[in-house]
Amino acid sequence: MVGPNVTLTPLSRADGSASYQCPSTGSNILGSVNAPVELPGRRDALKPEEATVEVFVKPGTAPAGVGERYVEGIIKTMISRLILGREKGYPRRGVVITLAIVGGQSARRGDSYLTLLPALLNTSLLALLSASVPMSMTFSATSLAVTSTGDILREPTAEVASSAASVHVLAFSSKGHLLLNESQGAFDLDTWDNVRERALAICRGTASYGSDGDVTMSVDVDGQPLEGTIREAVEDQVHRDYAWSIDAV
Amino acid sequence: MNKEAPLSIAERDFILNALREGVRLDGREADQLRPLKVSFGEEYGHVKVQLGKTSLIVRISSEVTKPHDDRPFDGLFTIALELTAMGSPAWDNGRQGDLETYVTNTLDRVVRHSNALDTESLCIMKGVSCWSVRADVHITDYDGNLVDASCIGIMAGLLHFRRPDAVVKDGQVIVYGLDERVPVALNITHKPLAVTFHTFDEGRLVILDATRKEEQASEADVVIGLNNAGDVCFVSKFSGSPVDAMVFVNKTNVALEKVKEINGVIDKALQADLAKRGKGGLAEQSRAENDR
Repeated sequence: MVGPNVTLTPLSRADGSASYQCPSTGSNILGSVNAPVELPGRRDALKPEEATVEVFVKPGTAPAGVGERYVEGIIKTMISRLILGREKGYPRRGVVITLAIVGGQSARRGDSYLTLLPALLNTSLLALLSASVPMSMTFSATSLAVTSTGDILREPTAEVASSAASVHVLAFSSKGHLLLNESQGAFDLDTWDNVRERALAICRGTASYGSDGDVTMSVDVDGQPLEGTIREAVEDQVHRDYAWSIDAV
Repeated sequence: MNKEAPLSIAERDFILNALREGVRLDGREADQLRPLKVSFGEEYGHVKVQLGKTSLIVRISSEVTKPHDDRPFDGLFTIALELTAMGSPAWDNGRQGDLETYVTNTLDRVVRHSNALDTESLCIMKGVSCWSVRADVHITDYDGNLVDASCIGIMAGLLHFRRPDAVVKDGQVIVYGLDERVPVALNITHKPLAVTFHTFDEGRLVILDATRKEEQASEADVVIGLNNAGDVCFVSKFSGSPVDAMVFVNKTNVALEKVKEINGVIDKALQADLAKRGKGGLAEQSRAENDR
């Protein structure tokens, strides 16, 4: 399976940005992060000791609606747990995450938004990394559909998801903990266990820890684990960013 | 906030004094555009415009809806532009600023009210169903001249877009998928584009395609919208200090030249994209003519 197409910092005005294209759903998300920024005076919503996270999802070809507000809520709760909002310079400031669906199908009215959620989550992580916002851990997210015959399909398109028995979105932290679980449809606990196992394999591979704490990731049916792809994208970017100083020496 | 950080006095003076000596910050002539790049995505009507450091993405989409009661023969065409924090950290998400209202209004006047897209051709069945075409403008990087860049994006998108074919059979509307029938191009009556000028020193200095800093240092702006044939469809002097009438007369000719230049760039990009798509595409397969 081909991994996602990732570009870090494609934009120049935003503090951090990333573009992410999911190969199986074809959705292309452009994300930007501005942090830390001065927030307009809505002091009632602010916690004085922490940074406020704002998420804005902009659909590609339709006005924003309830679907966007729903995923914004999910992304916001998850991301604000990961950002170290008490680091120097962050309290009373805002972290503004803007995600635009610039390619692929937007969710139409009545479609499940869960198919787009993992791409949105992965994009926001990459954009946060690009903006060097301090975070306690990284993560990777994927979506799975369970068909009525019990087959588990990776990252379903909107059409597949609408005919599936249940759709699940799971996110795993860089430590292997389950960070997010959003499910839609009817399923039993055994099915969910299978889904979790498959999602773990997609996100983190069948990782084994070396004696020095290094993680070695193996490649299986799902190709390179998502976390590895994200890691590599950031590594490549850092390498390129520092290339001039290597050249100069 | 919704406002860019203002220029410092020194920076403003620098820009002004340089302009008085006929030099622009990026070394351009007064009537020179920044490098323009128009490229198309995989889908129909997906355009990326890069004008200097200003960049944006336009997506055109269509769906079947009911026409307005008072105009049963007309389809719908909307331009949706929303400034998000992606384009500039000074813009707030979900809050409409002055710039957004101004740009939306100008685009509406230049593209929509000049009937660039023939809305009557979007009618499927009188009073019952019609196409609703929507142009979404996503500003990804803002470095001045939003109006011209968005206008280029929307026009290129409309020219590139193909809507699904729809026929009426026994009072029933049948819409064919993009893979069932060759999708139909939109009916574009003419290709209007906006050209923005900024003035300095009580209208003595006039420059084209200002960057964000030049915009901030300027006194006033003049927008001229016209098409390849030289028909002026929009003139606006929205805010700032007064401008001599001769500026409008003189700069209309410059604008015409630029519109032809920009339309040339769009046409070239369209040709290249169509040639790429033509190979093995549905249009190629379903052509009636053959090589013999």
